[in-house]
Amino acid sequence: MKHSSPFARIMSIPGMPMTVVLIVSVIVFQLLNPVFLDGRTVGNYLTNGIPILLLTLGVSIVIIGGGIDLSVGTVAGLSAGTTMFALVNGAPLAVGIAVGCGTGLLFGLVNGILVAYLRINDFIVTLATLNIAAGLLVVLSQVQPLQGVTVPGFSELTKGSVFGIPTSFFIAGVVFVIAHLLLAKTIVGRRLYATGISAPASNVAGVSVPHLRLFTFAASGLLAGIAGVLFASRLGAVQAFLGIGYEFIAIAGAVVGGITLAGGGGSVWAALVGGLFLATLQQGLRINNVDPVYFSIVTAVAIVFGVVFERQVRRVILRAALNRTALSTNDRGRSADQHMNERQPAERVAAVTAPEGSKNDAK
Amino acid sequence: MTYPAKPTSTRSLMLEVRDVTKHYEGVTALDHAGLSLGAGEIHALLGGNGAGKSTLISILSGVTKPDSGEIVLGGEMISVSGPLAAMSAGISTIYQELSLVPALSVLDNIYLGRELKRKTLGLPLTLDRRRMEADVRDLAADFGVTSSELRQPVSEFGALKKRSIEIIKALAFDTKVLILDEPTSGLEEAERRVLFSHMRSMRDRGVSLIWVTHHLEELFGLADKATVFKDGRTVGTVDIASTSVGDLIGLMFGAAQEEFGGGDTRKITHLEPSHKRRVVLSARNLSRGSAIRDVCLEVHEGEIVGLAGLAGAGRTEVVRLLMGLDARTAGTVELDGRRLSLRNSTAAYRAGIAMLPEDRKQLGILADLSTAQNISISRLSTVASAGFWMSRRKERALAEDYRRQLGIKTPNVEARIGNLSGGNQQKAIVARCLNTSPKLLIFDEPTQGIDVSAKVEVHALVRDYAANGGAAILIASEIEELLELSHRVLVMKKGQVVGEVRDIPAAIEAGDFSRIKSEVLTLSAAGQIS
Repeated sequence: MKHSSPFARIMSIPGMPMTVVLIVSVIVFQLLNPVFLDGRTVGNYLTNGIPILLLTLGVSIVIIGGGIDLSVGTVAGLSAGTTMFALVNGAPLAVGIAVGCGTGLLFGLVNGILVAYLRINDFIVTLATLNIAAGLLVVLSQVQPLQGVTVPGFSELTKGSVFGIPTSFFIAGVVFVIAHLLLAKTIVGRRLYATGISAPASNVAGVSVPHLRLFTFAASGLLAGIAGVLFASRLGAVQAFLGIGYEFIAIAGAVVGGITLAGGGGSVWAALVGGLFLATLQQGLRINNVDPVYFSIVTAVAIVFGVVFERQVRRVILRAALNRTALSTNDRGRSADQHMNERQPAERVAAVTAPEGSKNDAK
Repeated sequence: MTYPAKPTSTRSLMLEVRDVTKHYEGVTALDHAGLSLGAGEIHALLGGNGAGKSTLISILSGVTKPDSGEIVLGGEMISVSGPLAAMSAGISTIYQELSLVPALSVLDNIYLGRELKRKTLGLPLTLDRRRMEADVRDLAADFGVTSSELRQPVSEFGALKKRSIEIIKALAFDTKVLILDEPTSGLEEAERRVLFSHMRSMRDRGVSLIWVTHHLEELFGLADKATVFKDGRTVGTVDIASTSVGDLIGLMFGAAQEEFGGGDTRKITHLEPSHKRRVVLSARNLSRGSAIRDVCLEVHEGEIVGLAGLAGAGRTEVVRLLMGLDARTAGTVELDGRRLSLRNSTAAYRAGIAMLPEDRKQLGILADLSTAQNISISRLSTVASAGFWMSRRKERALAEDYRRQLGIKTPNVEARIGNLSGGNQQKAIVARCLNTSPKLLIFDEPTQGIDVSAKVEVHALVRDYAANGGAAILIASEIEELLELSHRVLVMKKGQVVGEVRDIPAAIEAGDFSRIKSEVLTLSAAGQIS
């Protein structure tokens, strides 16, 4: 294929169109109110947004693998609750964090086992675990008020800093980098995308689809657990209804960023950009004194708008740009093929064995 | 090229396509192409992928507009502005992908969009099913659909009935020209014969048929003429009565190709007697519930074992057991003498079994991944460092290797595989299998839906794999293909192996092709279809 224009190539990267929108919206909000990019404000709203970003990432991983996870919001809420519960009852910091992360991971594993091995529809399974987690948090908060933790260092998780970077930024950064490398650069990531594109075809090609399904839900659960710990640290108290509704913000962020609900498309970058866009939008509205009752309406409109924008950019601009230079319509592909058909098939097959290089690599 | 005029050519002209040209973004799909179709004529439209057949069909059926050219139907110049205009002018198309609504009844499908209505309260609100049924009953009966079947949903019927329903749908209205795009795809041998008799009876009704097919041997005894397209141009029109498969292939591809049909064995390797060769696969008493019962199967090195049988005989089900895609309820599988548990497909690949699945689009390619990524997916460790870290460079090099070896035609191995032609996609899947260095390779319908020249190339890949000592299992619905490629054929029926035909290359060489063909057909159809 001849190379298409650099613009088209850049914009064809999943999440790129939304990145442009994100940058434009930041500029607009800054022009409307210069307080917007003030260091403290930015730090604040990002710190608040980070747990949701982690949920967005978790949901995105599941969606890329061809599934859906509705339970992330309430599982994060419950994880916040269990962390608090452990700390209130005198557990050391590390144990408290482990309990929170473990709660999330446990829910992820349950989701994954039910979906992957018992083959129950993921929408149903995670709708059930959403409610189980929500219910358990209510029960837990009635056992004991989930507040008043004095364990040293706990609130530092969100309010302190590491190497001059706010701690939660640092945690989120590490998580996102690991997730990016995993999805974009490893065997697991490739199999994940393949499964999302077509589970039956991947299965025929030798990919262990159930293992991957389990992995995606476990990862999503663990991320919800981490988000829960950060919630607890930032809020200092966990209410009975924490986390309800967050799954929709997370899914919306993923979709706005350019992660296709059908599976197999998108990236960690897309999840990050989509999540950041929603957070930025809310912050922009807040700073410009828009009544918070309008937030959900504006956010909803932005979601639809964002999805349409992402798709249209990818469809219209890209196709036009690519078509000019490369084979992308069927007819053109066929013609190219036909030309080659004319050649004598002499060089067709010399010997049909695995190439030497590949054999060596295998050993 | 001139061809002797036959009496058939004196038929009056029904449809004439003159000088039609169509460009797609600078590529010429049709270049002053023409086609003359007589009344009541079965006219085959032939050509390789990209020859322009599909473009011509979509122009005639109103889906695409030509840049220039004329279409004359029944002596009048017509302008086909859209699908509805085409239909009301009398041109109907039956596409390869069936376009019936599964949940609706046969009758409702036939009248979809053209329903007859009855007045209720002075408004035409109610469907007049009684009148619709009365109108098509006789026609339907002629094509094997009873009046009680007219009321059943389409989803209850098989591929043949669905084609018949589409035919009735076309003939229920004034259709002068019916375009059939690969009408036999998905049909078994016996069903094909029924379809062909339907085509004859349409011809007898004076309908002109344009028949697009890749199966050249089907034309003889049925089609009247054939027009060959190449590179968007009309190469020529021939009378079927005075031509041969070889001539047609010559017209389609310019150069003489490898054998096609008729049982040539030039390329097949002769094998030593089986007791001298190593057994690669030994499967005993494979069962899956009552669907597959006690199937025993041995494959030796260098051997291609064909599985014959009708649709539903259990051929694909057997190989799915061997791949670990379905769980077996009984039986053992040994590969190179080692017992395999085959818990899933990953285990099968790891043990040394690979499969090229049937239904390339759904089960074969991963359409959104690149060609290179499709090749590496079954053994990613060949393109990774430290067992998990993907190397784009290695992946590209691997794909380039196979591109050269197997002749995969793509300008860029890192472009989306969904954009390649069917034959090249299939070659990439072969590469995917070979990359796992399999001891046993299963080919399930390897040439389904790919054009004649790609088919020949895929045949060569299958033969070369075996010639290099590989063991292979082949499933092919086309009996000629199966016999030409296999050393030995097992015939399946109702989930069991009911017979075996050995030493096929020798038999074919001795000129016994039609004898073993009828032997296999008799075995697979015994007691079912005459």
